Amino acid sequence: MRYVPREPRDGINVSKTHALVEAGTLVAGFSLIFVLIVLVLVFMVELALLFVSPEAEARVFENWQPGDLVAVDADDRRLAEVDALTQRLARHWPDSPYRFRVAINDSEKPNAMAFPGGLIIVTTGLLDRVQSENELAFVLGHEIGHFRNRDHLRMLGRGMLLTLSLSALGDGSGAGLGLTIADLTLRGFSRRQEADADEFGLTLVHAEYGHIAESTRFFERVADEFGGDHGYYEYVATHPSPEDRIDEIRELGRQRGWSESGPPVPLQW
Amino acid sequence: MSLGESDILISNTELVPGREIVEFYGVVTGNTVRAKHIGRDIMAGLKNVVGGELAGYTELLQDSREEATRRMIEQARSMGANAVVNVRFATSSISQGAAELFAYGTAVRVR
Amino acid sequence: MSGGQTLNLFLNIGFPIALLVFAYLIGSLIERRHFANIRKRESELRGFPVTTFERLPERWQVSSAGLVSGSIVVSLDYFKRVIAGLRAIVGGRVKTYEPLLERARREALLRMTEDARRAGYDAVINVRLETSRLANAAGNGNSTAGVEMLAFGTAVKLERR
Repeated sequence: MRYVPREPRDGINVSKTHALVEAGTLVAGFSLIFVLIVLVLVFMVELALLFVSPEAEARVFENWQPGDLVAVDADDRRLAEVDALTQRLARHWPDSPYRFRVAINDSEKPNAMAFPGGLIIVTTGLLDRVQSENELAFVLGHEIGHFRNRDHLRMLGRGMLLTLSLSALGDGSGAGLGLTIADLTLRGFSRRQEADADEFGLTLVHAEYGHIAESTRFFERVADEFGGDHGYYEYVATHPSPEDRIDEIRELGRQRGWSESGPPVPLQW
Repeated sequence: MSLGESDILISNTELVPGREIVEFYGVVTGNTVRAKHIGRDIMAGLKNVVGGELAGYTELLQDSREEATRRMIEQARSMGANAVVNVRFATSSISQGAAELFAYGTAVRVR
Repeated sequence: MSGGQTLNLFLNIGFPIALLVFAYLIGSLIERRHFANIRKRESELRGFPVTTFERLPERWQVSSAGLVSGSIVVSLDYFKRVIAGLRAIVGGRVKTYEPLLERARREALLRMTEDARRAGYDAVINVRLETSRLANAAGNGNSTAGVEMLAFGTAVKLERR
């Protein structure tokens, strides 16, 4: 037996696929899969909504309070004012199955959210920034619009299903990509919802005051304050960009022939 | 292909029975890194409750080991060898969910 | 688009992408240079017998023997690690790991062989190769800090061949 020096051919233990090709294939494949998953989730939620009537929802969640979101402060004069304004606006939606309730969340971010059973939560950040009743009325009308279109249940259902399906991915790079893709896909749906809720909100505001002056002022101010930064993410980024939104609201008012001028009602606090 | 079924002889002993080594060329290696997928994970998770064979994983690792062996044989062939002796297998975890299957031995010419 | 939005977009999307591109470019450069270096050293050591034989080939007269080893700890670049993370979900061959393990193993073998030659030996027999993963203390031991490749064997000094 003797030793004959020889070398094996190079590269047998390395796949020929280029790293960039592998990356492209995986990212494209994942994007497609996640878009499909999101579409299926959206469809499942729509299906589930058919089985939950608004009346049943209103009954089940009548006294429900998400404890971690609500700062219970009955002394806050603003709570009573917001509640009264909500009830006044809701009168213009006579067939509403909901008994609307308002709660305040102690957060600096200007935000308003719709929860099952007719619960509207506004943040102290929002209340600190609104300067007239008309501004606040449009924000509340918009949330009531979500109830009419049942968007609050959609968002809740999609969020739950999405969290479930993403939890299977762990916390690696797949989950990050999945979340981004899912977010972008859902944003397409939520834009439509927000525009519809804006329309209903504007209808309520017009019915209450006879004009829609000041409705967009809140968004203009918030956009100025945050300089387009996503610090106001909670309220605006899940919605269309404030500039587009203001334009759309104005356009809608013009189409309906609603007056854009009228005396603003001052806040009572 | 099962292990050792090839025109190149594979042996995990020093000697290929009935043959004589005339030349040796050096160490040859073959490897592959494989990841299991979520579907298999879920099935294995269910099977874990009752224990026993995780057939999905057995198959995955066996497939991978065969590929590692094929690559090792490919290296031996490129050196002009007709046998690989003293072959060893190793399996090691590389990252979460991915394992390396690895085979190595000495490429030789037998008569 | 305002200045704040531009900055935010950069922090959320631009920065990770820039990091990926940077990791890919530098990682590929390091890999290419390492492979070139390995090939050069391998051809220099071509005449040095390295085998997995447990016993000595007959007619070898050994005057002395000793254990030699070579090892290296390597890690994937960020770009390839992200791809490997995606691959781990769908399963299959994790192609981005293969070049890393290949060059690490060849480097470990080279270091062992160089160790043997430096010590005046003529050959290495009964070579064993081992791979082990070093878990990262930070990510609950889930993420990988690196992979160690170890090659060891018995180096022998021959009286005559």
